[in-house]
Amino acid sequence: MNEILDKLKKAILEYDAKGAGNIAAEAIKEGVDAVQVADAAVEAIRQIGDGYGKGELWLPDLIGGANAMKSAMSFIEDALKKKGRKRQTLGRIVIGTVYGDIHDIGKTMVSSLAEAEGFEVIDLGVSIEAKTFLEAFREHEPNIVALSALMTTTASEQRKVIEMFKEQGIREKVMVAVGGGAVTEEFARSIGADGYAPTAPLAVNLFKKLMGKGGKK
Amino acid sequence: MSKRGLVRNFKPLTILTNEQVESIHSGTLHVLAKTGIRIEHKRALKLFEQNDCIVDYNSNRVRIPPALVEACLRKCPSSFIVRARDEENNVTIGGNTTYFKNSCGMQIIDLDTWEPRTATRKENYDAITILDGLDNLHILGPYTAFFGFEGISPVMAIPESCAAKFRNSSKVQIEGYSNDSEIFQIQMAKAVEAEILQQILASAPMTWYSDAIEALFRAVEAGFPITVFSGQVSGGTAPATLAGAIITNNAELMAAIVLAQLIKPGTRVLPGDYAFAMNMKSGAPAFGAIGSSLHQVAFNQIWRFYGLPVYNVTSGYLSSKSMDYQAGYEKAIQAITSALSGANLIGLHGAVSAELTFHPVQAILDDDVAGMIGRFLEGILVTTETLAVDLIDRVGPIPGHYLGTEHSRKWWKIEQFVPKAADWMTYQEWIAQGKPKALDYGKQRMKEILASHKPKPLTPSQDKEISKILEDAENFYKRLGKL
Repeated sequence: MNEILDKLKKAILEYDAKGAGNIAAEAIKEGVDAVQVADAAVEAIRQIGDGYGKGELWLPDLIGGANAMKSAMSFIEDALKKKGRKRQTLGRIVIGTVYGDIHDIGKTMVSSLAEAEGFEVIDLGVSIEAKTFLEAFREHEPNIVALSALMTTTASEQRKVIEMFKEQGIREKVMVAVGGGAVTEEFARSIGADGYAPTAPLAVNLFKKLMGKGGKK
Repeated sequence: MSKRGLVRNFKPLTILTNEQVESIHSGTLHVLAKTGIRIEHKRALKLFEQNDCIVDYNSNRVRIPPALVEACLRKCPSSFIVRARDEENNVTIGGNTTYFKNSCGMQIIDLDTWEPRTATRKENYDAITILDGLDNLHILGPYTAFFGFEGISPVMAIPESCAAKFRNSSKVQIEGYSNDSEIFQIQMAKAVEAEILQQILASAPMTWYSDAIEALFRAVEAGFPITVFSGQVSGGTAPATLAGAIITNNAELMAAIVLAQLIKPGTRVLPGDYAFAMNMKSGAPAFGAIGSSLHQVAFNQIWRFYGLPVYNVTSGYLSSKSMDYQAGYEKAIQAITSALSGANLIGLHGAVSAELTFHPVQAILDDDVAGMIGRFLEGILVTTETLAVDLIDRVGPIPGHYLGTEHSRKWWKIEQFVPKAADWMTYQEWIAQGKPKALDYGKQRMKEILASHKPKPLTPSQDKEISKILEDAENFYKRLGKL
């Protein structure tokens, strides 16, 4: 059993998305506990996250590792769901770039780093409408909703998401974090966000801080 | 009349062999024909389709045949005039002439704390006045000086910037576009009998969004020149290799150039290089990195091969956050390599930390860099008088010397460039004067320019017309619920 988990870790550490997916599927098929498979994958991605933090690894490595992790997790999550089990994470985050804004890289950095630090991340993608964030909240019940906007012209969409959460009476049930090139601390406060971070590593620190406050309000 | 700019009197620096240029060219044509480019604009797609391009309306992907690309490149003038509101400030872009332009800043930088803050309206106006007064700054950039200042709404940033530039400067201006702002900037330019060099920006990789294409249509149909570029970031939105990044960059530009020539053959186009490598730690562009210079030198060589003038947009962008040693070398290395490789327009003045902050003192210091580069480009004049063989014979060995000769009096000023805001004192003088640095000279010169330089004013009727267009813009955005 340890052998196949080592193989999974090695695949992620070598940024091999296809290999990591196949090995995770094989492990599940062989009857290895899905929580243990998940733990192995998380251990590998944390190792990559640490390397990035120390300046030994770089963004292409981090994103490569996150892709391999994601590929493995798709099989692991299925198995967990079937057995009605949950893996231990630091918290669940729904993240996306707001409507009208197609900038992907900053948001992907945040989601990869957050995964590498042990969060469960549901990445909705780019140009996400406010109502899609709302639907994702209802489906996934995250602790944190994270909104990215690079352009000054789309930052106002972040306000729209927060307003919609208020209207639906769920604003108090989730922490909202905002970031991206167009966002400042002052702006974040003005739209009623719970937190703001200017860079991906600081975004992960912010998520931890928000979880320390209990995640959900 | 047209300002001649700075003139290069020697062959431009090249970095690629002819075979390498051909390889990049054929790679670019291949990508445009096979991969194609995504264009989110129905009218543009129709026009491409009518001109033998293969258009997939589901993915908005256009595949452009090589013959059309080459035919459209040939329709672009190799050199052209851009009209300023003051005829004396017209520029002729192309050939062996180099002009400089400023960059803008989201905010102003505080010269004591080096922290950014929002500029005031007066600071914005003063900054433009200073740019108008600088000898080696020929073209004002978009969003200048500050991309928004106190008391204005974000949607009015471009119309307000455009109006401020026309009011405080008679130099040529480039302008961007946002929320259909080009409607109003075109009206303003016409009201003051000038043109705007309209900036059009691709979204890498291989995509043109509708706002950019709409601005292109409006500028071209107004008969204005355009400058096209792509904010690609190698390793993120372009291949990590320089050669590959140059291919996607050029393919992105060519798609817009083809479109412009299909709309109006002969449209004046200035291709710009706005490419960066990615800082693989932060994900931000690596401003001031040497890779940008390599990209620019190759870019300049390839577009000269196509017979088009070239613009290096980011030669003044810094990773440095203050006016320090790093800022100096990042600016100087990028600007000199741009100039030596034949850039016709170089973005240099005023930027600190790329477009995050701007300060007129930085622009003043940069103006000396531009002046030094301009002097270098002139090269060495070799005539009977400059060879000075007769004079050398007359002066002879020591105790002869040249200081008192008419030849020295006449020629030293032509041969040397003296910076206006740099420390040129002897050590003893420097200590006695309180050890002033370039920054101190820059601050002093800012005061002097503001006290002495008066930009050529608009006529009262032009000024009134600009106010009316600003009012129209406000009403337009109010109607749309954006203001």
